[in-house]
Amino acid sequence: MLKSPAQSTPTSPLSVDKTKSKLAEQETKFTLNAKDKYFAWAFLGPSLLILGVFIFYPMIKTLYLSLFLTNTVGKTTVFVGLSNYMNLLTSADYLSSLGVTLFYVFAVTIITIALGLILANLASKRLPGIGLFRTLFSATMGVSVSVAAIFWLFIFNPSTGFLSLVSTWMHLPQIPWLTDPTAAMWAVIITTVWMNLGFTFLILLGAMSAVPTTLYEAANIEGASSRFQFFHITIPSISPTLFFVSLITLIESFKSFGLIDLMTKGGPTNATNMLVYRIYKDAFYSGNYAQASAESIILTIIIALFTLLQFKVLEKRVNY
Amino acid sequence: MKKVTVFLKTYALPIFAIVAIVLGIAFVNGSKNATSAKAGRTPVVFWHEMGGPAEVALDKMVDDFNKSQNKYEVIPQYQGAYDEAVQKIIQSHGTSASPALFQSFDISTAQIMHSKYITPVQKFIDQDNYDVSDISPVARSFYSNKGQQLAMPFNTSQPVLYYNASLFKKYGVTPPAKSPSYSDVTRAAKALYENSHHKVKGMTMEIYGWLMEEALANAHTSLINNGDGHSGNPTKIDLNNPTTKKFLTWIRTNIKSGDFVNYGSGASAETNEIAAFLANKLGIFVQSSAYIGQLTTGTKNKLGISYFPHPDGVKANGVGIGGAALWISNDKPAKTQRGAWEFIKFAETAKNQANWQKATGYLALNKNSQKTKVLQDIYQKIPAAKVPGEQLASAKPNNTNSGILMEGMQLTRELEETAMEGVYNGQAINSALNTANKAMNANLKTTNKADGR
Repeated sequence: MLKSPAQSTPTSPLSVDKTKSKLAEQETKFTLNAKDKYFAWAFLGPSLLILGVFIFYPMIKTLYLSLFLTNTVGKTTVFVGLSNYMNLLTSADYLSSLGVTLFYVFAVTIITIALGLILANLASKRLPGIGLFRTLFSATMGVSVSVAAIFWLFIFNPSTGFLSLVSTWMHLPQIPWLTDPTAAMWAVIITTVWMNLGFTFLILLGAMSAVPTTLYEAANIEGASSRFQFFHITIPSISPTLFFVSLITLIESFKSFGLIDLMTKGGPTNATNMLVYRIYKDAFYSGNYAQASAESIILTIIIALFTLLQFKVLEKRVNY
Repeated sequence: MKKVTVFLKTYALPIFAIVAIVLGIAFVNGSKNATSAKAGRTPVVFWHEMGGPAEVALDKMVDDFNKSQNKYEVIPQYQGAYDEAVQKIIQSHGTSASPALFQSFDISTAQIMHSKYITPVQKFIDQDNYDVSDISPVARSFYSNKGQQLAMPFNTSQPVLYYNASLFKKYGVTPPAKSPSYSDVTRAAKALYENSHHKVKGMTMEIYGWLMEEALANAHTSLINNGDGHSGNPTKIDLNNPTTKKFLTWIRTNIKSGDFVNYGSGASAETNEIAAFLANKLGIFVQSSAYIGQLTTGTKNKLGISYFPHPDGVKANGVGIGGAALWISNDKPAKTQRGAWEFIKFAETAKNQANWQKATGYLALNKNSQKTKVLQDIYQKIPAAKVPGEQLASAKPNNTNSGILMEGMQLTRELEETAMEGVYNGQAINSALNTANKAMNANLKTTNKADGR
């Protein structure tokens, strides 16, 4: 860890006191000024209103709904306390959804980052025609979820799909991509990784090209292998970006919905019934708003925990 | 030139934003215009879930109705998929945005009935002395409760067994009988698979709760107590019964002998099975009769259609229907509700039902439609197209083939499908059914508790 200049320069206690008192003076002035107060409310008001209506109110309402049972028309009827939560956390079905989601999230994040790093490292070499590969590798950024899903559904089609044709041609056993529980999970993971890869690649490539070339030159003079250079120069230098990309990928995968809806609808045998998709189905298919609300609260807590964990653990290891 | 680029750089974004907002407002206003009726007419807002060719046909029907009289103007509005539309209809009730007339699908019947947000069409039937006997009895019974007609059946289909008659001829296999038993279907599927040297898969059955419920209906078996909900509020579900086991054992047998291919569940399964069927890679599949159009256009193959299969040694009870009905909302003035009913009557006439079947593949519900030239022409061209209508006409309504009148059918169906998926993937039939049954009953208990029943 580098020391910040502020820590390394000794400051006299007197000057610190002076700035402190100055700041305090400004603060008191600020709180006393009624006009400033008025402006503060005028500027904060609209955003507070919007946040209140669209974020805080729904959040509180969700919490409220999760403590009741809801009837045919979605109105709360019987107060059940935490029993919706207890039912969920003891239901094998929900726990398997949780397990499936965690598996999916980690598989997608790890594979995307690994492939992104490999591709970015290849494309960061200054070679003639590399621009073409950079464009190709980042091309999936422009593909929408629905297009990707339909495209891969064609590839996975058991009778006329590309993969089925290839395996027939090579006399390999057919994989029932979308109907076998294990295969369907991998089908969804492959499609998600394929979709995410363009963005990850581009961000990592940008970070790699910002690493000072002098570091590599020095390493070359020392005779360090390119593998050594990758792990000891590239990775540490791009670690803030790596942290950012992995966080984004992880949280986005938790929220994955479109692909699941279009490719598997949570099946087969709930093998791809992720938490978000489950909430949607329980609320807008089955009309079970109470249970869906409880599921939303649990999901919020999980995502908050992961975000916290990533900031606490990963940020410490980031080499700025 | 430089000035222009500087100008663009500074103002491009704000200009873009303003243009977007203006276009947005124009669009919103444009779509608003579509909801107001012509002067002197009572607007009847109609929510429906028909996409593609069916939407075109429905819009034409609405247009014909509006031209046929000058008191009401029906305004059709597409609402997306069935499942989500139900929630939209219920949540918007009592607001100015809610529809006066809406289409809602088969398994939402109990939910809408219990919401008490509708005027049963029986009220208008009685007022007008409207003769319902022309409309298919098995379709009517699906949307009625204790003799009271809640809604009028509209787009209606029945599950049928499709077979590729040309393939059967090519490989010298006798196709399934008109009302085939499970073993007859197995025989045909197996022979096709063997005679084609495994080039053609014999059969498939989509992982679809509807098809399993129809298998129960056809064997005269109830899924839930109180006569499948028709004689009282349901309190107990029995999925793990001998009929369900027979149905799944039948599929299991075919999976084991290799002639069965599994396309999974959902819309993609339907697309895939139809693609395989048209590409001569699949001999038999069971699906909604609404697919006849897709299966006969752009192919030289001859299509064969049989009734939904029944277990061996059991007389076929006839299957229930699928599709959706037209409901009248009770949050609009009497005049508007009357307009909605007038449109329903218009939609059920022999001529309009015949045109509807021609355009969409849904079955004509009016028995007089069968004599119209429109349908006679179709039957002459595709003789098999007659079969679904015959199956519909032959079913005598009773509790087991009039649908399952229970709230929470969406979740029940999902659990049925999970059980089917498990069995298709090798899970023991008994344990798959038991797991689903337990979850269904727990859900039913919660629903009854929440509704105070």
